[in-house]
Amino acid sequence: MITETEWIQQARSGDHVAFGRLVQAYQTPVYNLTYRMLGNAAEAEEAAQEAFLRAYTHLRSYDPQRPFRSWLMAIASHYCIDQLRRRRLTWLSFEDEIAVPENPVEGGLVQLASDLPNPESVVTQQERAVQIQTLLSTLSPVDRAAVTLLYWYDYSYEEIAETLDLTVSAVKSRLYRARRDLAKLLEEDGENGLQTSD
Amino acid sequence: MDCKQATEMMVARLDGHLDDGSTVLLEAHIGACCSCQAEWRSLQRLDDLLTTAPMVRSPVRLRVQVMTRLQRREQARRAIVGSTTLALGTITLMLLLLAPVLLDLLRMVGIAPTLLSAGPETVVQLLALMRTMGRALLVLLETFVTPLAALSLCSLALALALSRLWTGAVSRLRTES
Repeated sequence: MITETEWIQQARSGDHVAFGRLVQAYQTPVYNLTYRMLGNAAEAEEAAQEAFLRAYTHLRSYDPQRPFRSWLMAIASHYCIDQLRRRRLTWLSFEDEIAVPENPVEGGLVQLASDLPNPESVVTQQERAVQIQTLLSTLSPVDRAAVTLLYWYDYSYEEIAETLDLTVSAVKSRLYRARRDLAKLLEEDGENGLQTSD
Repeated sequence: MDCKQATEMMVARLDGHLDDGSTVLLEAHIGACCSCQAEWRSLQRLDDLLTTAPMVRSPVRLRVQVMTRLQRREQARRAIVGSTTLALGTITLMLLLLAPVLLDLLRMVGIAPTLLSAGPETVVQLLALMRTMGRALLVLLETFVTPLAALSLCSLALALALSRLWTGAVSRLRTES
């Protein structure tokens, strides 16, 4: 059976089929990250594609000592952070525009990677999904990436620091601040409603 | 322990980074401080919300989209490399063909001051000579370059067609394997 290392080797020598297998293996983790970061299905899809294309282009610079998943996540995170910064610059010049995270379920744009047993549970999941995206959208791009990597990928502080080019103490302080602010917002949710930062 | 330290410890506890001794201290503080109690509850609520959130599944078409874009980009890259090579080859060929004429012109530039001092008559003769050389050059171009260009274009078209057939066959083989 062909291992991931062999797929990477083959992809490095220009084998598109091998690279396709890597895309298939990592498309959900990459897409989840881009979606959690950007909060919009269309942009997340575009960002995930771009992350894979960048990975292919820079495959020769990939260090096999490092987990491929971490390397790929770093590419996707940095791309999303850049996109969010650009988006913020654009919105600063069009102040009337308000960033409202897209409802991830209306219109069937996003499917959660868990089985949904009954309609009541579906509604609860939908509400929670919207709540999560609204909360995440209040964070700065880097904090958003740190929180996403911590909660959806079980990354350690060290792994987050390596992925986002930060120091471990910076990661700790960002995660502390982000969660303190999110917890406050969560408490306020229902009384005033949540407002997004970008 | 103040409330700020307590909040830092709460976050550390959520991540499983708090030792037993600190946990006991934190619990004692939470038990005695109403605002920290409320903060701990909201942090736990947040942690529960995020920990239980599932991954968002990628669209099925994502892989196909990536591979299509990759293929298009490779084709564009190959086209750029091919056309650059062709342009460089053409320029080299032209330089080789025109080198003798260009060298003569350069020599003439070197003797220009002498010719000018020799008077307007010499300049008129020189212009006539250049006109004649120009005509000769045109005849040369018509005789040699045009058939060569046609030949080059035919060779290029053949090379492109063969490379297209080759890449098509290779990608078909890869897909089948």
